[in-house]
Amino acid sequence: MEKSIILQIKGLHAQVEDRAILNGLDLKVSSGEVHAIMGPNGSGKSTLAQILAGRDNYEVTSGTIEFCGKDLFSLSTEERAREGLFLAFQYPVEIPGVNNAYLLKAALNAQRAANDQPQVDAFEFTKLIKDKMELMQMSSDFLNRSVNEGFSGGEKKRNEILQMLTLEPRLAVLDETDSGLDVDALKVVASGINSLRDSKRAIILVTHYERLLELVVPDHVHVLSEGCIVKSGDRELARTLDKQGYDWVRKEAANL
Amino acid sequence: MTPETLHSTFEASLNRLETSDPSRTLRSEAMALFNKFGYPTRKHENWRYTDLKPIVKAELDPTPKSLTTNQIKQSNRLLDTSLLDDGAARLVLVDGELLPNAQTLDGIQGLTILGHEETWQRISELQSVELFQRHPLAALNTAFASSGILIKLSENTNIEQPLHLIFTSTQAANKAIQPRILIDIGAGSKLTIVQHFVGEDSVANWTNLVTQITQSKESHLTIYRFQEYGNEQFHTELLDAKIAQDAKLKLGYVDLGGKLVRNDVQVDLAEPGAACEIFGVFLATQGQHVDNHTRIDHTAPQTTSREAFRGIIGERGRGVFNGKVVVHRGAQGTDAQQSSDNLLLSERGEIDTKPELEIYTDDVKCAHGATVGELDAEQLFYIRSRGVDEDTAKGLLTFAFANDVLRRIEVPEVRERVASCVAGQLPDYENWGGLL
Repeated sequence: MEKSIILQIKGLHAQVEDRAILNGLDLKVSSGEVHAIMGPNGSGKSTLAQILAGRDNYEVTSGTIEFCGKDLFSLSTEERAREGLFLAFQYPVEIPGVNNAYLLKAALNAQRAANDQPQVDAFEFTKLIKDKMELMQMSSDFLNRSVNEGFSGGEKKRNEILQMLTLEPRLAVLDETDSGLDVDALKVVASGINSLRDSKRAIILVTHYERLLELVVPDHVHVLSEGCIVKSGDRELARTLDKQGYDWVRKEAANL
Repeated sequence: MTPETLHSTFEASLNRLETSDPSRTLRSEAMALFNKFGYPTRKHENWRYTDLKPIVKAELDPTPKSLTTNQIKQSNRLLDTSLLDDGAARLVLVDGELLPNAQTLDGIQGLTILGHEETWQRISELQSVELFQRHPLAALNTAFASSGILIKLSENTNIEQPLHLIFTSTQAANKAIQPRILIDIGAGSKLTIVQHFVGEDSVANWTNLVTQITQSKESHLTIYRFQEYGNEQFHTELLDAKIAQDAKLKLGYVDLGGKLVRNDVQVDLAEPGAACEIFGVFLATQGQHVDNHTRIDHTAPQTTSREAFRGIIGERGRGVFNGKVVVHRGAQGTDAQQSSDNLLLSERGEIDTKPELEIYTDDVKCAHGATVGELDAEQLFYIRSRGVDEDTAKGLLTFAFANDVLRRIEVPEVRERVASCVAGQLPDYENWGGLL
């Protein structure tokens, strides 16, 4: 199958309250690919993830982003989601009083309505998510609990992956989904991510650590530093970074 | 209904009672007190934000009358929206009058509903004069109350099935309805009451309810009170409760309808280990005014109170919350928490919230807080990032704000019905209601 371009970022500059965070970022992600974006704290990783999802806390000053051939900035947050862009939050938000099931069903039906597909009813919905919940090792009472309320760190991250699996996005952006997970939870989350991998979709893993990348092996690894991608490579780059840290990449970039 | 109208009607209604009627003396005393104090005005600290003028100006008939078939017909129609199924134990008051033959209390051992004579006997015993001085509307209720009801639960009786108390308001005439409810819970007993106020859309009656509760030691009483009148009704009420050792009172107030609503709650945690939990949700929009006024007295040591009210204020709505907690001398070990959270959906709405804490002893744990705000931006973004449009996300979050408190209703069918009625009154319900 021919590869298609899912995401194309060109010369992206963004700031928050006059402080520049992204300084001319370029990135191309094609179908079937898994990209890892690594980098030290404050390098702009989460900002990039939030901008992709449409968070309005950041001001994009120049640059373009195309998502499946469309101008991403012309789409609202909800339109992006319905077009198949999914952000797994670094800090999933607690919403007391809204059931997990409500939110999941609302999300699924919004996407279906946008694609002229029929709405799912309660029966279909239960059938549809049963296997996904098993894969994420979540019990059924979980659906009647409020979104993320009182969840452990690991439960929150598994819930993000459950939402992702239910919505089957074309592009999944996972913002530090591995942080705060123990080894077992990390395996569950990784198997969820791997189950979504196929030739039609693309995944961007934003992470500090190499350990997730041993379980979800990326095709490309990029190092983000001071708002630019300063080095790209394959999984070996991630291993080197794990052993040697980021300083050598920064020095290399400074000498260019 | 001006004080003059009340004064002149009072003599006539008193004359209709038998000379031996046990209520005569107390009614006269109460009327004299009301004449002295008059309606509370905004000059009274407790009435600063609520103006009773619309009630004073309204032409209302305060005289209790026997029910007509038309009233009963209308009431029966309203009962179709009952919160519990037909088989539930229930009492129905139509425009303040007890509907005959509507009581289905057969087979409930230990629970008795007593009528006029016993009720007035009990009112006298409770020495309510002090209450009238603090609450002139309670004095007015006493002067005009028609069928008083005394709900009595004997000792060590656990009633699983909730008792349904329905107040229907019909289009008979614009009436001033003055129901009086007394509840006595025997030691070690347990009861849940579901109170439901329902009325025709265009009815402009005024209900002025007084409920007096006495709980003996180690008893548990829960009252879920749900008000869904049409938007022309006036409603004022006072609930006064005295809680004995290790007894617990739980109250849930939900107000959706009404034009002018004022709920007064006062709870005396009178003996060690007494506890109360009060929660509430109210909606005020389109000229509605809803005022919740609570006062909790920790008079004994090791007493506990929990209070959480949530207001949702829309266009031209007005909400008031005043919650006072008094920790008296000698009430050491008191544990009191209170919160008032409010959502302002429109710039043309108003909320006045005032938590008050008075502490006259050491070694207590008290916390209170009030918030007035808009929907949470993080939550909104999170829901939208899942593909849900902004209006739907706002609707869901507004509902969640109320539902977070409604979860405290422990009777599933009541919780679900109340939650769906609340949802139905929120903006853009048609867009997101199907999700629930």
